[in-house]
Amino acid sequence: MQTNIKFKNIFILLVLPVVVATGCKKFVDETDPSNLTPDSYYTVPEHATAAIASAYAQTRFIGGGAGIFVQNFQMLEAVTGTVKTETGQNSDYNNLLGLAFNGENELINNWWNGLYNVIAQVNLVLDKVPGINPMEEDLKKRILGEAYFLRAWAYFYLVQLWGDVPLITTPQSTSSPDFYPSRTGMDAVYDQIVNDLKTAEASGLAWTDASGRASMGAVKSLLAKVYLTMAGYPLQKGNEYYRLAAEKALEIIDSHEFSLFPNYGDLHNPTLENRGEHIFQIQYLVGVADNPMQGVLLPNFKDISKYGTEVGSIVPTNSFYNSFETGDRRKIDRVGFFYTHYYEQGDGALKDLSAPYIYKHFDSLAHGTAGKEGTGNSSLNWPQIRYAETLLIYAEAQNEADGAPNAAAINALKTVRDRAGLTTPGTFTQDAFRQAVWRERWYELCFENITWFDMVRLRKVFNESTKGFDDFIGHQFADNSAVLAEKHLLFPLPTSEMRNNPNLTPQNPGYL
Amino acid sequence: MFLMLALSSKAQQKTITGKVTDKDNFPLAGATVQAKGSSETTVTAEDGNFTLELPASIQAIIISYVGYNDREVPLGSSTTINVSLEPGARSMEDVVVVGYGSRRKSDLTGAVGSVRASQLQERPPSSLNQAIAGRVPGVQVNTNSGRPGGQTNVRIRGFSSINTSNNPLYIIDGVALPQGTQNENSNAIDYINPSDIASVEILKDASATAIYGARGANGVVLITTKRGSKTGGRITYDMDMSIPTIGPKRVEMLNAKEYIEVENLAYDNIKVYDPAGWAAGNYATLQDPREKRKNLPLLFDSEGNPLYDTDWLKESTQNKLSQNHQLGFTGGNADNSYGIFLGFRDDNGLLLNSYMTRYSGRFVIDSKIKSWLKVGGSVSYNNQEENLVDRGTGGLNSVRMITEAFPFLPVRYPDGTYAENYHYPGAEGGSNPVHILNDRKFLMNTQTALGDVHVNINLAKGLEFRSQAGVNVVTRGFREYNGRTLDQISRSQNGTAFVGNNRETFWSSENYFTYTAKPGADHDLVAMVGLSWQETNIFNISASSQNFSTDFFQYNNIGAGSQQNPGGSGAARFSFNSYFGRINYTFRNKYLLTVTGRADGSSRFGESNKYTFFPSAALAWRVSEEDFLSNSSVISNLKLRGSYGFTGNSEIPAYQSLENLGTYAGIINDSRVTGVGIGRLANPDLKWEKTAQADLGLELGLWGNRVTLEADVYYRKTTDMLLDAPVPRTSGRATVRRNIGSMENKGLELSLNTVNISTADFSWNSSFNISFNRNKVLSLATSAPIFGVGNPGFTNQTGIIRVGDPVGSFWGLVRLGTWSDKEAAEAAAFNSYRGGKPILPGDIKYLDVNGDKIINDEDRMIIGNGNPDAWGAFFNSFRYKDFELVVELQYSIGNDVLNMTKHSGEDRVGIANSYKTVLNAWTPTNQNTPIAAIRDTRAGYVTNVDTRWVEDGSFLRGRNLLLAYNFPSQVTEKLHLSRLRIFGSVQNFFLATKYTGNDPEVTTYGHPFAQGQTFFDYPKPTVYTFGINASL
Repeated sequence: MQTNIKFKNIFILLVLPVVVATGCKKFVDETDPSNLTPDSYYTVPEHATAAIASAYAQTRFIGGGAGIFVQNFQMLEAVTGTVKTETGQNSDYNNLLGLAFNGENELINNWWNGLYNVIAQVNLVLDKVPGINPMEEDLKKRILGEAYFLRAWAYFYLVQLWGDVPLITTPQSTSSPDFYPSRTGMDAVYDQIVNDLKTAEASGLAWTDASGRASMGAVKSLLAKVYLTMAGYPLQKGNEYYRLAAEKALEIIDSHEFSLFPNYGDLHNPTLENRGEHIFQIQYLVGVADNPMQGVLLPNFKDISKYGTEVGSIVPTNSFYNSFETGDRRKIDRVGFFYTHYYEQGDGALKDLSAPYIYKHFDSLAHGTAGKEGTGNSSLNWPQIRYAETLLIYAEAQNEADGAPNAAAINALKTVRDRAGLTTPGTFTQDAFRQAVWRERWYELCFENITWFDMVRLRKVFNESTKGFDDFIGHQFADNSAVLAEKHLLFPLPTSEMRNNPNLTPQNPGYL
Repeated sequence: MFLMLALSSKAQQKTITGKVTDKDNFPLAGATVQAKGSSETTVTAEDGNFTLELPASIQAIIISYVGYNDREVPLGSSTTINVSLEPGARSMEDVVVVGYGSRRKSDLTGAVGSVRASQLQERPPSSLNQAIAGRVPGVQVNTNSGRPGGQTNVRIRGFSSINTSNNPLYIIDGVALPQGTQNENSNAIDYINPSDIASVEILKDASATAIYGARGANGVVLITTKRGSKTGGRITYDMDMSIPTIGPKRVEMLNAKEYIEVENLAYDNIKVYDPAGWAAGNYATLQDPREKRKNLPLLFDSEGNPLYDTDWLKESTQNKLSQNHQLGFTGGNADNSYGIFLGFRDDNGLLLNSYMTRYSGRFVIDSKIKSWLKVGGSVSYNNQEENLVDRGTGGLNSVRMITEAFPFLPVRYPDGTYAENYHYPGAEGGSNPVHILNDRKFLMNTQTALGDVHVNINLAKGLEFRSQAGVNVVTRGFREYNGRTLDQISRSQNGTAFVGNNRETFWSSENYFTYTAKPGADHDLVAMVGLSWQETNIFNISASSQNFSTDFFQYNNIGAGSQQNPGGSGAARFSFNSYFGRINYTFRNKYLLTVTGRADGSSRFGESNKYTFFPSAALAWRVSEEDFLSNSSVISNLKLRGSYGFTGNSEIPAYQSLENLGTYAGIINDSRVTGVGIGRLANPDLKWEKTAQADLGLELGLWGNRVTLEADVYYRKTTDMLLDAPVPRTSGRATVRRNIGSMENKGLELSLNTVNISTADFSWNSSFNISFNRNKVLSLATSAPIFGVGNPGFTNQTGIIRVGDPVGSFWGLVRLGTWSDKEAAEAAAFNSYRGGKPILPGDIKYLDVNGDKIINDEDRMIIGNGNPDAWGAFFNSFRYKDFELVVELQYSIGNDVLNMTKHSGEDRVGIANSYKTVLNAWTPTNQNTPIAAIRDTRAGYVTNVDTRWVEDGSFLRGRNLLLAYNFPSQVTEKLHLSRLRIFGSVQNFFLATKYTGNDPEVTTYGHPFAQGQTFFDYPKPTVYTFGINASL
C-alpha cells in the first residue's frame, strides 16, 4: 500500500477531531436557560410568594379579551337584561345578549379556561409550598390560606356557571389519573369550596389587606356568599344555610373593619382600592396589566376620553336605568352608577350623551376630567366583593332564616339605601323585606357580575316595569325580547373541552 | 478503510482553458463544460471563460448551455479552446448541484429544478424568493405584499406540516440558513444578495432531499454563489434604476360627495333599523350629519358641502427612484482564483417612507495548493435595513386608513396640522395615512455574516475528502417609534418606543468522502459518506417605554419615556448531529440507481427519540439510450424515473419536550411582583415529524430537444405531525406538543420548453409550467377540528383544520343575500344576530343550516381555500439580432381570497370611509343585492366572516416585460469592454382578475395557512426599471 505521508498528517489533523467528537453524546442534549423547571424551583420562601402571585395574576382573565370589542366580564352582564351593546361586531357576544349561545361561545370558553388556570396555579402552590423548608410557619400558613381562598373563589364561579364540574385538586401532568376528568357532583364541589374556605379562615389572615391579597374579610364574605347560594337553587339547602350565611355575614359586620364609602365615586377612586368598602378586588396596574375594561364601557365613538378606542359594547338598557326610584342618588349623572354627560375628549366642554353609560367602573384619571387630561391607561381595580353586598347578604339571609327581618337586617338594608338618599321603612313583612333586599341587590350590585348569579339562585328576575320579580323561566328581556328558558340556568360546557376530553359528559340539558 | 486505497499518480492530468460565447461573441456565463466520457465538469464564469482539468486520456469536451445546441469539441494539442454555440434545443447536459456533490442533469434520478444566473438577471429582484418565482414547477412562491423585499411565502409541493415551519431549507455553498426561527414575515434568505448567486437548485422529491434528512421535508433550495475567475482579471458592473407606480388594480373608495350621501342615509335609516332606540332618544346627540357639517368650517362650507376631495391612495404613495449597483472584481488563474463582490441596493417602496437598503460585500477564494489539495472559502456581509410601514394589521394602521380616511379631509389643514378621522364627530377615529406613514417607524436592521472555509483532499484515485466549516451570524435589530399624535396607535400613550435585538449564531461542520469508480465498462459508481455537526444559539433582548414629552427622541432614547415597560430577554440553543451517505450507480449509462440515507440527531426532541434515520431510493431509466430509440429522429431524449423515501421536519422551538414553569406578572400593593407558576407540559416522547414521498418522473426531448417536457407526479404523506395538541383545560394548560395526525399532498408538475423559431437573426423560445397540488388532512389528535392555528380570529375563527379537508380552508357563514320586504316575517322569526335588535328587510340573510332560526357556529362551514388548484408561469423570449424581448406571465387558478376588508369597507358605514360598492346597498327599490341597507352602525348592523368576503382570486399577471439590447462586439471592443447590455423592463405590467381588492396574491397574516386572508395590504406596484450590465 502506497500512501502519501504528507497527506496522512493533514488527514489526521483534520479528521481525527471529527471522529473524537463523535463520542460526545452531550451535543444533542438540551437544557433551557430562560425557563425554570418545577424540580429546580420552590425551594425558598421567596418562591412561595412568586407562586401565589401567579395565581393572583390569573384572576385577571375576567378582564381578558374575547374577540373584537368584548372582554370576558361582559358574559355575566349580557345575560341579565340590564345591558345592551352599541356595536354589533362580536357575534359570540351578540349571541349572549340574544340568549342564543352554545358551547362554542368564546366567552364561555374563556371563563372555563380562566377559572381552571387559577385552580392549576393554586394547586401548584398547595403542592409545593408545604415542602419549602425552612420557612416561617405563619407566612407559610398565610400563603396557603390565600391559595385555599382563591381555589374556592374559582370553584364557586365554576359550580354556579356549569353545575357539576371536574374537581381537580392536584397539579396535573399528562400521566395524572384525572388528566381527562369526568364531572363531579355539585354537592362535592360545594363541600370542597366550604372546606377550602374554612381552612383559609383558620390560616391567620389579617382582617383587611390593603395590598390586595385575600384577607380574612374576603374569606368570610365569600363563605357567607357560598352559604347563601347553597341555601337557594339548585341545592336548596334552605334555612340551615341561610342561618350560616347570616352568621358569617354578621361576623364581618361586627368586626367593624369595613364600612360603606360615603360617595359612590369612591368606589372607582384609584386611591381607595383594597380598603373601606372594597373587601376583595382584582388588581390592575399600568405598565404591568392595564385595566382592559375601560374602552368597552365608553360610549361608541363619542370622543369623551383620552382613550382612542371608545367601543360602547356594554351600556345599560334604558329599561333598567329608568327603573331606579326617583331620587336614587345612584342614578344621578356622574354621582351614582351612570353618566349621561361627559367632557369632550375627556377634559373639554361638557357634552350631552343623551343616553346612560356605566360610571361605576369609570376611571376619570385615565379618561380625563374637567380641566385635566386623561392618562389614556387605567390602573383601576375590578371589584369582586364589596361590603354593601355583605350587608345585603346578612339582610336576606337573616330574614329567610328567622322568618322575619330583625332590626340589624333592616338596618343593613337601610345603610345601603341611606347612601342612595332613599328612605327605608322601620318594619317589613318577611316577603316585603325579601323583595326589598332583592331589588336593592339589583340596583346596588349591578354591573359587578353578581346579578346573574342572583337570577340563578333565586330563579327570579327583576321586572323593570312592575318593579316586582318574574320567574326566571319565561322572563322576557325588555330591551331585546329574548326569553329565558330552563336551559339557561346553566351554561353549556365548552364544546372544544368536551371534544378534547371524552370523559366530560353529558352536556348540560338543552344544549347540543 | 480509505487508507488502504492507493493514491494515484497525478502526472496524467491536463488543463484546458477557453471561452464560450454565442455566435455574436457574447459570453455565455454558466455554460457547462464537460470531459467526454468522464465526470470532470466545470461551469463558465461571468465572462464565459472556463478552466477544466481532466485526465490526459480524454479526447473531447462537450459544451452545453440552456437554449443552445450542445457542442462536442475534439481536443487536439492546443489547451485553449474557444467555442461559440448556436441557439437551439434545451441541453440535457447541465450540471446540477445536489446535496454534498453534483451530477449531470442526465444522470439525475430525483426531481430537481434549476434556475441559472442569466434567468435571475431578467428581473433584478430584491430577494431570491422573488427571483425563483415561476421558474420551477411545484414551487409556489407567493409575494404577498408590495413592500420592498416582498414578504414571500415559499412552499415546495404543498404543506408538510400544520404547526411547524413550512419553509424550505436553504443551503448556501453548503452552509444552512436558519429555517424556522425568523419572523416579521421574512426569512433568512431575504437577507442574501441575489446578485451574488450563480445558480439555484431546488430539490423536491425524497431521493434528492433525503440527504438533508430531518430538515428536508419542506424541500431544499441549494444556492451556489459566484466564484472567482480562472482566466485573468475581470470587472463586472450591473446597475438598474426603477420607479414604482400604483399597480394595475386598486380598490375604489367613496369620494367626498358619495360619502356624504351615504352618511346622510345612514343617519336617516336609524329610525328604520332601531325605531325603539330612536324613540327613546338614544340618538338625540348624534347630530344630523347635514347639520353637523355646517359647523365644521375647516372641512365644509356653510352649506355643508365638502371643501376637499382627497384620494388617499395617491397621497400615501411616492414615485421615488430606487437604485441597485452591483460591482464584481474577479481574477486568478487555473489554480488560484478570487472574487470580490460589492452591492448596494436602495429600494424605495410605493408607500411613503417605505424603503429597504442593503449593503453587501463578499470575498471568495479558491486555491489549488497542491496537486491533491484544494482549499477555498468565502466571507460575506450584508447589512439590510427596512422600514415596515404596513405593520399593525387589524388596527387602524397606514394601509387600512388609506381606505378608511374620510375623502373630505385634506392631508393637512391650512395651519399645517394633520386632518384626522377622529376630528369628525361620531367617527370611529384614526389618523390619516400620510400622518401614520410619516410618524410611525418600524425599522428592521438585519446584519448577516456568512462564511465558510473548505478543503478538498484527493486521497487516492477517485477518492476525495471534503471538510467544510461554515458560520452564519444573523443579527436583527428592531427599532420602533409611534408618534405622540397617532390616534388609536399611540396618542393615548403619548408616543411609544420599542427596541429589540435578536442574535442567531449558527455554525456547522460538514465532512464527507466521495469515491468515484468505474469498476468495468458497464458500471459507474459514485459513493459518498459523511458526518455533520450543527449548532445554533439564539439570544434576544428588548425594551420599551411610552409617554414622551416630545417626538424628538424617537427610539433613540427609550429612557426618555416616562413610563418604562419591563424589558425582556431570552436564550435558546439547539443542535444537530448527523451521519449520511449516498450511492449513485449507473449501469450501461441507461439504468441509474441512487440510494441515500441520513441519520439525524436533534436536541429538540425527547430523551428517547433524539436520533432517526431517513432513507430513500430512486431508479431511472434512460430509455432513449436503448437501441430501439437511439436512432429515433423524433425522440431525442426519454428518461423515466421513480423515487421513494423519507424526510423530516424538526422546526419546532427548542425545549418543547421539557416541562417548564411560566413567569407571570403579579400585582401586590400596586407594584409588580414576579410570579412563577404553571408552564409547559412535558412530553419526553416527542419525536420527528416524518414525510414519506413517492415520485414518478418523465423527461422527454423531441426533435433534437427542440421540444422538451418534464413531468412529475408525487404523493407525500406526513405522519407524526408536530402539533401543539389541545389538552383538557382542566389541567391549567391549553396544549402539549405532540406528534399527532397526518396529512397528504399529491400533485402533478409539468414543464414544457420549446424552441419555436431558430434562425440566424431571430429566435423565439417558450417555456410553460403548471403545477397542481391537493392537500388533505388525514388524521388529527382529537376528533375535534383545530381552530386558530395559522389563522387570525376575526369577528370569529377564520380558518379550520379538519380531517378530510385541506389546510388553508376558510371558515364562515354563507351569505344568501339580504332579506327582502316580502321576507319580513321570515326574517323577524330569527333570533337576533345584530346586537339584540330584530332582523329586518335590508339586513344580511345567512344560510341557517340547521333551521333553528339562530345564526351561530353551527351554521358555519368551509367556504373557501387560499391555495390554488393550479399555478405556474409562461415565459416567451425573443431574440432579434442584438435585441432580446422577454415576456413573463404568472398565473394562478382557483385560489380564494378571504377579503376581510369588506368588514369595514362594506358591512359598516358612516364611521369611516367605505368601498364604492356600498352605493349598491339594499334600498326598498334595490332589494336584490348582497349588501345590507346602509344605517348608522349604532343602529345595529351585521358583520361576519361569510361567503360575500370570499372571492375568486384566480389571476393572470404580466410579471415582467423586458427589452434588452446587447451591444455588438465591434462596439464593445472600441469601448474596451467585453460585454455591454442595456435593458428596460416593466414588472407587474398587467393583472387580469375578478378579485376586487388590490391584488389577489396576498396575505396580511404571516402563516402560510392564512394565504389569501387579507385585512388591508400593502398595494403591489407596477415597477419601471432601466438597467445596464457591463463587463471589462
